[in-house]
Amino acid sequence: MRTRLAPADISRPSDRLSHIEAGDLAPLPSPYEDFNATAIPPLKPEKVRHIETSLDDTVALAIPRPASPEEEEARVRQFLSGLKKLFEKENNWTFLQPLLLSMEHCAKCQTCADACPVFEMSGRKEIYRPIFRAEVLRRIYRKYLRPGGKIASRLTGDIDLNWTAIARLAELSYRCTLCRRCAAACPIGVDNGLIAHEIRKLFSQEMGIAPKEIHDKGSIQHLKVGSSTGMKPPGAKDSVEFIQEEMREITGWKVDVPWDVEGAEILLIHNAGEMLAWPDNVGAFAVIFQAAGVSWTMSSEAAGYDVVNYGLWYDDVQFSRVAVRHADITRRLKVKKIVIGECGHAHKALTVVADRLLTGDLNVPRESALVTLADIVLSGKLRFDPRRNDFPVTLHDPCNVVRSMGIVAPQRRILEKIAPRFREMTPHGVENYCCGGGSGFALMSGHNFADWRNRVSSRKKFMQILAAFENEPAEVPKYVCAPCSNCKGAIRDLIGHYHAEERSRLYYGGLVELIVNAMADMKKPIIRFGDEPSWKA
Amino acid sequence: MPTIELAGKSYEVDEDGFLQELDKWNEEFAEAYAHADGIEGPLTEEHWKVINYLRSYYQEFGIAPMVRKVVRETGLDLKRIYELFPSGPGNGACKLAGLAKPTGCV
Repeated sequence: MRTRLAPADISRPSDRLSHIEAGDLAPLPSPYEDFNATAIPPLKPEKVRHIETSLDDTVALAIPRPASPEEEEARVRQFLSGLKKLFEKENNWTFLQPLLLSMEHCAKCQTCADACPVFEMSGRKEIYRPIFRAEVLRRIYRKYLRPGGKIASRLTGDIDLNWTAIARLAELSYRCTLCRRCAAACPIGVDNGLIAHEIRKLFSQEMGIAPKEIHDKGSIQHLKVGSSTGMKPPGAKDSVEFIQEEMREITGWKVDVPWDVEGAEILLIHNAGEMLAWPDNVGAFAVIFQAAGVSWTMSSEAAGYDVVNYGLWYDDVQFSRVAVRHADITRRLKVKKIVIGECGHAHKALTVVADRLLTGDLNVPRESALVTLADIVLSGKLRFDPRRNDFPVTLHDPCNVVRSMGIVAPQRRILEKIAPRFREMTPHGVENYCCGGGSGFALMSGHNFADWRNRVSSRKKFMQILAAFENEPAEVPKYVCAPCSNCKGAIRDLIGHYHAEERSRLYYGGLVELIVNAMADMKKPIIRFGDEPSWKA
Repeated sequence: MPTIELAGKSYEVDEDGFLQELDKWNEEFAEAYAHADGIEGPLTEEHWKVINYLRSYYQEFGIAPMVRKVVRETGLDLKRIYELFPSGPGNGACKLAGLAKPTGCV
């Protein structure tokens, strides 16, 4: 009989450590049963000949195979050097204490395993168990970094460190969305999500291994040209000009987006992806702020119009560069506070983690747009006709905003006022499930990674969405409200992958679009379901 | 880096087939790629309207324009654009126009 995969197996060479068959995945309900019989498309051999694929037949990183045994050894030494730095306060000023506590105190009670959607949806594959990844790192740490570790490890669980183990561990750190549902469930506060993050950090900062979508085309492009989308200031202004014209048709009045206004109350920074992929979101913010008489501005300085900070997911150095840039732009513009648009990871990056970085006059006040919007909606300054949102609505809770920051109520107070057919998902709030696109996954689509995401990491969210609408007829259009660009990207891909627009009439969008759609003096609906307007003018 | 052979020439592309060396683009590239992408016959005036707009916007701003802007500027509705480019405005039209693959949260 085959015994269960153990952490030590990570260093035993084989073609793959784990594999998902179609029948392993948690079954989807009607009318999606046809997907239950189809497997994740395999990697194309001619495209992966020179890269590491020995984890699970999926690739996030495309790590080149070392050319020689000497190169392998050099990579192992590099890994150990990086590992050492993770445990030094000079080199890990951000997360050393929670990392140490998580290394020392796991009781292996497995409460986290039941909390993890990737583990559950994959059919409980050992490699995705939250403590599997953590235990690999823990054993390497104990054996190679602790005095006497090589002898003690024979008792506490041995593991051999070789290139195979390292390459697999790197990939494995990108099979967790860092949603930290496991950490919230742990009775003693061990954070296996943080451990995945620290592994990513070691690989990026010490070995130059990171997904190209979030490093080369992400952080680096953000710092170089001003946005991870590649959009330079004139492109941002051109897009916004077009959005203003579109909003004029919706509102019937002239909508103005103020740029670079010194001393404004609010500097609103969007995820720049919104301007290209979800322009109504950017427009709806402008409509609400203008109608409520808010003193606000956007910044046209490079990086000042893109609030993303992908470094949060994998690299403290990139994280710090972007966070300081955001704070510095704000300081020079002399605004009272930053308001972060509907972008989940930017919330955590700029408000929570940057708190350890921004001191003195860089420590400008930072606020979630959900809070700003709740103040506006509840102030009575806007007049609503909630009957305009006469369609079923459910709410997705972005992990970084809700579980990590505890912002639970503002978005619900807004929905109570404007969405009469709102219903919660089960579970929701701080117990929500990740969209499956967290920590950069929504941007990553090389090889068959998007298929893995749609089939495995986003699967729980898809089932939750379907369950929230299970009593609604298939032909009724349904709105998934997801106030986060990354989550929207993942949900859009889910809807496309499972043909859920055709089969269940699922649509998605942000929170501000729902607010504007219910404003009584709008001339036209901002929300459309395909060709169909959400209300008749 | 993968390459693609079109009309007797070799081009470097990324794994999704987006051209890597943007200055290597030429009209034969678009014609030959259209054929490989399942578009029948030579490219029509409407195809060129979309491709030329995408290229001129990209040259000015360094990014692809938002889809709605393509609709407004070319006067072709989204349905028509999908008929012209069955792989869609991003994976179809942008690829033929030799633009880089979109990046960031889009």
